[in-house]
Amino acid sequence: MKKVLAFLMAIAMGLSATACSSPSTSSGSSSNQGGEILIGCLQDVTGPTSSLGQMVQAGAQWAVDEINENGGIDGKKIKMNSYDTKGDVTEAVNAFTKAVTVDKVSVIVGPPVANIALAIKEISEQYDVPVMGLAMDKNAQLKQDGTPYKNMFTFQPNADQQGAIMAKYAIENGFKSFGAIYNESNSYSTSLLAPFVQTVEGAGGTIPKNLQVAYNANDTDFKTLLSPIVKANVDAIFVPNYTKDLVNITTAARALGYEGALICGLDACPPFNTMMGTSCDGVYYINNIDDTTQALQDMIKTVKEKTGVEATNKFFLGYDIVNIAAKVLKENGTSDPAKIRTALENITDYAGMTGNISIDPKTHMTKSMEMFMFTYEGTTPKFLQKFAA
Amino acid sequence: MTLYLSILTQILITVVAVCGVYVLTGLTGMFSLGQAAFMAVGSYASGILVVKCGFPFWLACILAVLIAVVIGYLVGFPTVRLRRDYISLVTLGFGEAITALLNRATKLTGGASGFIGIPRKTTFLLALVSAIAAIAIVSWFKTSKYGRQCIAVRGDELAAKAMGINVPKIKMNAFLLSVAVTAFSGCLYAFFITYVDPTIFGWKKSADWVIMVFFGGVNSLTGSVVGAFILSGLPEVLRSLDQYRSIIYAILVLLIINFKPSGIFGEWELSPRNLKALGEKLAKRSRKEEKTDGAA
Amino acid sequence: MSLQIIVNGLATGSVYALIATGFSLIFNVLKFSNFSHGALMTLSAFSGYFVAAQSGLGLVPTILVAVVTGALVALAGEFVAFRRITLNNSSPVYFFVSSITLGTMFEGIITVKVGANFYNYPQFFQNSTIKFGGVVISTSDLLMFFCSVITLLILAYILQKTRQGRGLRSVSFDRDTASLMGINVTRTIQFTFIVSGALAGLAGVFLGINYTLYPTLGSLVVKGFIASVIGGLGSLTGAIIGAVLLGFMETILISLVGSGYTPVFTFLLMLVFLLVRPSGIAGSNIQEKA
Repeated sequence: MKKVLAFLMAIAMGLSATACSSPSTSSGSSSNQGGEILIGCLQDVTGPTSSLGQMVQAGAQWAVDEINENGGIDGKKIKMNSYDTKGDVTEAVNAFTKAVTVDKVSVIVGPPVANIALAIKEISEQYDVPVMGLAMDKNAQLKQDGTPYKNMFTFQPNADQQGAIMAKYAIENGFKSFGAIYNESNSYSTSLLAPFVQTVEGAGGTIPKNLQVAYNANDTDFKTLLSPIVKANVDAIFVPNYTKDLVNITTAARALGYEGALICGLDACPPFNTMMGTSCDGVYYINNIDDTTQALQDMIKTVKEKTGVEATNKFFLGYDIVNIAAKVLKENGTSDPAKIRTALENITDYAGMTGNISIDPKTHMTKSMEMFMFTYEGTTPKFLQKFAA
Repeated sequence: MTLYLSILTQILITVVAVCGVYVLTGLTGMFSLGQAAFMAVGSYASGILVVKCGFPFWLACILAVLIAVVIGYLVGFPTVRLRRDYISLVTLGFGEAITALLNRATKLTGGASGFIGIPRKTTFLLALVSAIAAIAIVSWFKTSKYGRQCIAVRGDELAAKAMGINVPKIKMNAFLLSVAVTAFSGCLYAFFITYVDPTIFGWKKSADWVIMVFFGGVNSLTGSVVGAFILSGLPEVLRSLDQYRSIIYAILVLLIINFKPSGIFGEWELSPRNLKALGEKLAKRSRKEEKTDGAA
Repeated sequence: MSLQIIVNGLATGSVYALIATGFSLIFNVLKFSNFSHGALMTLSAFSGYFVAAQSGLGLVPTILVAVVTGALVALAGEFVAFRRITLNNSSPVYFFVSSITLGTMFEGIITVKVGANFYNYPQFFQNSTIKFGGVVISTSDLLMFFCSVITLLILAYILQKTRQGRGLRSVSFDRDTASLMGINVTRTIQFTFIVSGALAGLAGVFLGINYTLYPTLGSLVVKGFIASVIGGLGSLTGAIIGAVLLGFMETILISLVGSGYTPVFTFLLMLVFLLVRPSGIAGSNIQEKA
C-alpha cells in the first residue's frame, strides 16, 4: 500500500511539475507587448504526415529567422511556437485551443492537411486568431451557406483549381484517354480526383469509372492495382498521391511496361526524382514553385547547408505565409484582430515565392493563382508552363 | 480555462470509452483491437442521423448505440466462440473493414475527407454526467452476478464451464455492454469535436485504451478510470516537448508497466468500505510509528 | 486468374512471410504479439540507409548493418521492456502493452531523426524487372523471395539442430520445466530476440527497397500479426503458410472486388476460416495461455 501511495505521489508530482513548467515558459512569452510577437505553427510534427508538417514548419521558421535578422517587426522580434497535432484531430483541437487561449498567439500558420483544418474550423469561430493554412479542401474555408469561416484562410489554390489545372494541361497537350489511381483513405488524394475527372470529361477526354482505381493506406501490391489501367492502354494515368506512393506506383507502372504519361500532384516535385533514381520521363507534375530558377536554387542550397532540410514546395508555402503574416502585422499592429482579418482578406498580388497571391474576401481562398506545370527529362525537372484555373 | 474544460471534456469522453474496454479486457480477459471501430460506428451513426435525417441529438445517440449493439452482436456471435487469442485478430479485421467501408461510402460519410457539419452538443457537464453514469453502470455490472461470472471466465474458462457457466453467453453479455458504452462515447466525441474522419478509429486507438486499462490496474475499475485520466492528460502536459513528446510518453508508460506490473491500483477499488479500511490501515501505521518514536 | 496475379500474390506473400517469421518467433517463446517488431523493422532499415546505403556501399553492407542493428536493438528492447515482466511471470498481456509502447518509442525516435526529408535506397540492381513471357517479376521481389527462403532454411536448421535452437524450443514448450532441466531461460529469451531482431532488419531492408523509406513503414507489422495468427499461433511453418495465403488472398481480392472492399472480405474469410479450423493452419494444439 505504501508503495502504491508513494508511486501515486511521484506521478502526481511529476505531472504537476511539468504542468507548472509548461505554462510558465509560454506565459512569459505570451504577452505580445514584451518586445516579441508570438505566432503559432500548428502542424503534424509527428504522425503519418510528419514530413509535410515539418517541412512547412521549417519554411516558416526560416522566414521568422530572416525577419528577426532584419530587425523584426518594428523592432519586435517574432517568436514562433510549435503545436504538434500528431495528425490527430483531437490533438489538433487541444493544440489550437492552447495556442489561442493560453499562449494568445497573433496568427497561426496552419497545416497542409485538410482534416486538421476541418477539425478546428468550427471552434476557430469563437476566437479572433486567423489560421493561415494550406488546406485544399473548400470545406475547410467555407460554411455550408457558402460564406467563409472568419478565421480560416488558405494560401494555395484549392483542390478544384489544382485538379482542373492538371486536367487542362493534360487535355491541351493531346492526352485523351485517362485512368486514375488514388488513395481512398487520404483526403488530399480523393479531393483532387473529382475536379480532374470533371474537367477531363468536360473537355471531351475519357476517364471511365472502372479505370479510376482506389487503394488503401496499407496496400502494397500496385502491380495488381494498376494492371487494368495498363491493359486499357490509356494516354495518361492521373496519380494524385503522396511521395512514397508515387514512387511505388511509378515503379510498378513502368515495370508492367506502361509507357504513357503519369500526371501527378504536388508531391512528385524533387526529391521524387532522386528517390526514383532512374529516369522519370513521362512524369508530369504540378508545383507551387518554379525551383529551376537561380534564386530558388540558391535558397534551397543555403537552407540545405544551414539546416539539413531539402526544401520542397511545402517549405516555401510556409515561408510565404509567415512573410505575409509579418507584412500584415507590421501594417496593422497586433492589437486589432478585425483589422488584421480585413487586411488578410484584401491581400492582392503579394509577390511570394509561390507566385502572386491574392485572397478572395468572399471565399478566403486564393484567386486565380498561377501554378507551375513540370515534367522530368531523365531525372532533371523541366519547367513547362504557368497555369491558372 | 477554456483549454482545461476542453481537455477535461475529452478526457471524460475517453473515460467512458475505457469503461467499455474495462468490461471486455479487465473483467472478461478478452482483447479487442477493434474497439475504436465501435466508437466510429457510434460517431458516424449519430452524426448522420442528426445531420442528414434531422433527428434530435438524444434520439440519435440512443439509435446509434442500438445500431452499434446490433453490429456488435453480429461480430460477437462467431467471435466469442473462438479461442481467446483469435479475438484480437478478428476485432482487428473488423476495425479495418469498418474503416474501409467509411472510406468507401463517400456520399454518406464524406469518405477520407471526413464527416463535417456536426453541431456541437457535448458540453463539459454532459461528458461529466456520462462518465459518472458509465462508471456506475460498469461498477454495478462488476458486482452483479454477471460480473462475477465474467471474472470466473477470465480466470479459467474450462473451470467456469464446469461450474455450469454458459461461457459464450457471458462473453457475449460483456462484449455487448462494452460495445454499447464505447459507441456512446463515440456519440459524445462526434458532437464535441464536430468533425470525424476514419483515420482516428484505427487499431492503435483501441490499443491505447487497453494500455490505459493496464496502466491503472487491470483488475480495478478505479485504476482503469485513473489510468484513462492520466494517460489521456499526459500528452497535453508534455506538449512543450514538441516532437520528443511521444518518446517521453512511451518511456513513462514503459516504466510503470515494468515496475508496477499490476498497474497503479492493482485490485483496489474506490468504495466507502475500502476507503475506511485504508484509513484504518494508515492510522494503525502512524500509531505504530508513534510507538516506535516513543520507544526511541 | 492470370499468371501475373499469382506472381504478384507470391511477391506480396513473401514480404508478409518475412515479417511474420520474426513476429511469430517471439510468440513461440513468450506467447505474446510483439507489436514493436514493426517499428524495429523501420529503425533497422533506416540505420542501414544512414550507415551504408547513403555512402554508396552496396546491398550486402546495407543488409548487414540493418541486421546487426535489428539484433542489438531487439536485445536492448528485451532488457528495457520485457525482462522484468518475464521475471515477474506476469500475464502475456503485459508484454503486448509493453511492446506497443516500445514501438511508439522507436517510431518517435525515427520521426525525430528523419524530420521533413524523404529517403529511398539507391537502385541496387541494374535491371529492376525481369520478363518471362508475359509475366513481369521485379528483381527485388525475386531476390527477396530467395533471401527469405535461404533465411528460413537457416532458421529451421538453427531451431532443429543446434543446442541454442533446442533450448529455444524447450523454453517455448514449457518455461519452468526447461529451467529445471538446466536451460538458462534468460539467455534463451535473449537469443530469441536477437534472431527475431535480425529478421526484422532483413525484412526492413526489403520493405525499404520495395516501398521506400518512411517513418510508419512498420505499420505493415499488422500483416505479420494476421499471418501468424491464421497460421496457428506459435508455429513458424504455419506463419509462413499463413503469410503467403494472406498475400494471395489480398491480391486476388484486389483484382476481383477492388481494394476498397478487400478488408471487408478479408475479415469475413478470416472469421469463417477460424470457425472452421480453430487451431489455425498448422493445427498444433497449443494450450490456452491467454
